Amino acid sequence: MDHRLYFVLGDLFANLLTGALVGWLSWLIVDPGWNMWIAMFLMMAVSMLVAIILWIPFSVLFGAMEVMVPLMFTGMVSGMVVGMWAAMEQLSATDCFYLGAVCGLISLVVIWILNSALRGTEPVRWR
Amino acid sequence: MADLVTQRKWDKAAPTFDIMASKGAEERWLPAKRELFSNMDGKILFLALGTGLDIAAFPPGKEITAIDISPKMLEVAEPRIAAYDGSITAQAMDVHEMDFEDESFDQVFTSCTFCSVPNPVEGLKALKRVLKPDGNLFMFEHTGSRYYPFKLMMTLMTQISRRLGPEMNRATVNNVEAAGLNVTEVNNLFMDVVKTIKATK
Repeated sequence: MDHRLYFVLGDLFANLLTGALVGWLSWLIVDPGWNMWIAMFLMMAVSMLVAIILWIPFSVLFGAMEVMVPLMFTGMVSGMVVGMWAAMEQLSATDCFYLGAVCGLISLVVIWILNSALRGTEPVRWR
Repeated sequence: MADLVTQRKWDKAAPTFDIMASKGAEERWLPAKRELFSNMDGKILFLALGTGLDIAAFPPGKEITAIDISPKMLEVAEPRIAAYDGSITAQAMDVHEMDFEDESFDQVFTSCTFCSVPNPVEGLKALKRVLKPDGNLFMFEHTGSRYYPFKLMMTLMTQISRRLGPEMNRATVNNVEAAGLNVTEVNNLFMDVVKTIKATK
C-alpha cells in the first residue's frame, strides 16, 4: 500500500465509510428473526454491489485497484458480519453503522498485511 | 480489419477518461511508472498511449513511437505529446494489425494495456514480432488475483467493467509466457494485482 499520507488517509476514509454505510444498509434490510445464513449471504452480495458503486467516486480521488480491492472486501465482510448479527438480535441503526465501520477498519488492516506479504519481486516458482 | 468494437468503446470513453484516471490512479502509480520507464533506451514502441497520462512518467529526451486503437484518445493526448521534452510520434493503430516491420524496436512498453486488448496472447505475439532479437518488453499492468476471495471479486467486477473498458481478471503474466516471450521479472506493487512485468524475446 502507499505510504503517502494522502493515500493512507484516503484508504482509511473510504473503507470506514463504506463499512459504515453497508452496516446501516444491513440494519435497513435485515430484521431479527431472519435466517442468519440467508441474511449473511444476501448482505454479502448486496454489499459488494454497493462497494462497487462507492468505488467510482473514491477511485477518482484515491486510485484504481488499490481502492477497488479493499472496498469490495470491506463490503463483503461488513455485509456478512452486520447482516448476520442483525438477524440474530435487535440492533440500533447506530450500532450497525459503527459495527460496519469497525469491519471496514479490520478489512483494511487485513489488506495491508496481505499486501506486505505479496508485494515485491515474485519468485519464479510462484508463476 | 480493425477491431471497430474496441475502437468505438475507447473513442466513447475518451472525453471523460481523464476524470476517472488522472488524479487518484495516476498519482498513485506515478513513482512506479517513473521507475519502469527509466529503462527506456534505443528504439521504443509505447503501446496504447491513450490520453497521454503516462507521458508525465517518461524520462526526457527519448524518441518514442506510440500507438493507440482510439483516434479520439490520441486527440486528447495531443497537448501532452506536444509538451513532452523529447519526441513522440503517435499513430492510431490496432496492436493486432501493426504495420511496423518485423524486429524494428529495441523495447516495447505497455501501461494498463493488456486488461483491454481483446485477444491478449495474439496482441503479445504481435509485440514479439516487432521486437528485435533480445529486445525487451516492459509492462505496467493490473491483473486478476490468484487468491480467494479476491479472485472471485475481480471476476464479478469484470462482468461490469468490460462493458466500459478494462477487464479486471486477466492472467497477463501467463499470457506473456503463452505468447512465447521469456518473463524475467514480475514485481508486485499492490498485492498480486498491480505489477510490473519484464520479458525478453
